[in-house]
Amino acid sequence: MATSQWWASESFWRKTAIWVTGGSFIALILLTMDTIPQISTGSKRVPAYSVINYRISYKFDETRHVQVPVIGAKEPLFGKELNEEEAEALVKLGKLTTQSKNCMNCHTLLGNGAYYAPDLTKSWLDQYWGTKEVREVQMLEFIKDPSDKVHNSMGRRMPKLEITDEEARGVVAFLKWMSSIDTNGFPYNFKSIEQEN
Amino acid sequence: MATLGMLDSANLNGGQKLAVKYFTVAIVLFGAQILFGLLSGLQYLYPDFLYGVLDFSVNRMVHINALVVWLLYGFLGSVYWLLEEESQHEVVGLKLGNLIYWVLTAAVTVVVLVYLFVQIGPGKESSIWLINEGREYIEAPRWADIGIVVSVLVVFFNVAATFSKGRYTGIAGVLVLDMLALFGIYLAGMFYTTNISIDQYWWWWVIHLWVEATWEVMVACIMAYGLMKVLGVSRKIVETWLYIEVALMFGSGILGLGHHYFWIGTPEYWFSIGGFFSALEPIPLVAMVVHAVFDAGARHAKNNNHPAMAWLIAHAFGNFFGAGVWGFMHTLPQINLYTHGTQWSASHGHLAFFGAYATIIIAMFYLGIQRWRGGTWMSGDLPGNGWKWKWALGLLNLGMVGMTVAMLVSGYVQSQIERAIEGSTWMGYFAAQIHPWFVQGMWWREVFGVMFLVGFVLLVWDLLTIGKGESRKMIEVSNAA
Amino acid sequence: MIEPASLGNFFTIFFTSAMVIMLGALYALLFAFSRLKGDKRLMPLAYLSYAGLLISTLFLADAANLLKHPFWTVIVAFMLVGYLLAPHAIWHLCVGTHAAEHVEVEPIKNY
Repeated sequence: MATSQWWASESFWRKTAIWVTGGSFIALILLTMDTIPQISTGSKRVPAYSVINYRISYKFDETRHVQVPVIGAKEPLFGKELNEEEAEALVKLGKLTTQSKNCMNCHTLLGNGAYYAPDLTKSWLDQYWGTKEVREVQMLEFIKDPSDKVHNSMGRRMPKLEITDEEARGVVAFLKWMSSIDTNGFPYNFKSIEQEN
Repeated sequence: MATLGMLDSANLNGGQKLAVKYFTVAIVLFGAQILFGLLSGLQYLYPDFLYGVLDFSVNRMVHINALVVWLLYGFLGSVYWLLEEESQHEVVGLKLGNLIYWVLTAAVTVVVLVYLFVQIGPGKESSIWLINEGREYIEAPRWADIGIVVSVLVVFFNVAATFSKGRYTGIAGVLVLDMLALFGIYLAGMFYTTNISIDQYWWWWVIHLWVEATWEVMVACIMAYGLMKVLGVSRKIVETWLYIEVALMFGSGILGLGHHYFWIGTPEYWFSIGGFFSALEPIPLVAMVVHAVFDAGARHAKNNNHPAMAWLIAHAFGNFFGAGVWGFMHTLPQINLYTHGTQWSASHGHLAFFGAYATIIIAMFYLGIQRWRGGTWMSGDLPGNGWKWKWALGLLNLGMVGMTVAMLVSGYVQSQIERAIEGSTWMGYFAAQIHPWFVQGMWWREVFGVMFLVGFVLLVWDLLTIGKGESRKMIEVSNAA
Repeated sequence: MIEPASLGNFFTIFFTSAMVIMLGALYALLFAFSRLKGDKRLMPLAYLSYAGLLISTLFLADAANLLKHPFWTVIVAFMLVGYLLAPHAIWHLCVGTHAAEHVEVEPIKNY
């Protein structure tokens, strides 16, 4: 009984631990190398920033059992068509603004963040904005000064975050672009704003 | 070792003197975490409370950052605590280690002050470098990131060099590699990208591979050391089981990352990977249950530190329920689609962090204070029957379970009304938030949060007084190390 | 790839998945106790827990639409076999790893 079985020995498990860890990590790296191109900007799942020149809707897909983003007719953001660099610059300004204003510690983006305020993944498509004609103006106004808006009567306050007009436009561009990402159906059963002409 | 029952640093070795400094800051930050948690919880009930002064986003950021940093301080302290005994060698470069402790603590203080008083900046990269990175859990501005990396490299040097010069044990090997992984992974969160899918892809590397892989292994190392110390288990067995646990944890944990890649834009094959490893997730827990029973039968050990032992038991239960039961309840993508990003996540997060990590670091605090007072008696028959540690244990655990269940009720309502019925629109969100069940859940969370705070105050009081003036030595356990 | 659960099945999913983990642990616990004490009467209770786990898993699989897709059906089968065998395997491992200790360490216990 003094000598233990090989499968219960220290050296066997040391080797196993090393191989399992190394193997898992290598598998993760290979998967990462496969995934990154699929979620790079301009891919099928994560469209190029110039997608903000088009209508984005969120439609049910029979084969996937969930809703997926659909890129439709030309509908430039703020009525001005941007080339790829201009679009990227605007979305970048928006993303930087969402980070420096700490949006993620009240809201969730792609479902990650804090739970004090609504998810922003498809906020571009939210019925809250009324009609698609007034949406852009409504969003700009809201982002620049949300302190007197309707959610105040529903148990939440959002502070005025010293967001400039240009930054607010960036945020709207970022939100519109984010709504075009294929998130495998998250959020599910979403009821979009009416966008047909 | 003459001064039994009195705090005397002569009772500690060099690494342990540094360890108790880390532990002290850890406790202060634990207190800050609770305080800012209570403030943000109160803002769910009274949204005008501190509105425009300390908004929810600020309080919540301090709440979760204090959590990460106090646990990290607890881990670093624990590593320094066991370093000299394990390596049987003085800490190499201890002066540098001390200096880095002060640098790191100063940096943490500055970061928190900037969070509280500057809060936000303009939409430029300079804000990310100087104020706040705006990415949950790793908000620390970039300058602080660089500081953290440099600091932890020094700690890594302390540890690796000490083991190399002294005795390089199995625990040492796992610990050194784990620290390397822990710090290496942090780099994945240190760059800016506009593409939020890529952003969150790497962000999860940091968050998941810390919390569900490298931290778990760190705890396993501390636990292995603790089992030898508190129960006198033989090194050969402890180290064999450490390897088994590393294999199980990294085997299920590293690719378990998949369950965070369901909804951020990543391809559908992550459903399969996440689903498969979610099914594997409970295996390490089952292994622990069987092994714990086996061990309990194999030795009827008296232990020499009842509070530490009680917190280790709390760790076993907390880890099982928080990570195991609460995790598995909403991990399958078919249901996670509705629960992801609701109070469900908060409920799971609270119990899992507390159960898996806070408990074991509190156990280390008790081991620390015992030695600091010269190795005093901490078994049964303490003055006042040890009411302070027992009540602290009870109130902290009950408070946490209460908060978790309260948020579970709120999360349940939220997943039904906001997600399933309304489909996550803004109005759907608010329809759930004003539902009476949701609101009551938030109230009970706050009530149990206060209970948790009372438990914390008792814990601090107990740590300051336990063993004071005690004249009995601790029970000796067989020392197989 | 997946078919989202329907609202009516929420409770079933939360409840059965919690039961899967708890019964899995209970099975492991009773199994280990039975072996440890050499008490044969506990073993039927252990397998009763496993039977509960099996039923919970099947209800969970049905409620979460797992059985409609081959991949998820395989996962379910894998879980059932894995949870059945894991305590056996871990017990063997415990006996194996502690084999040396019982010879060497037992006599010098000093408490």
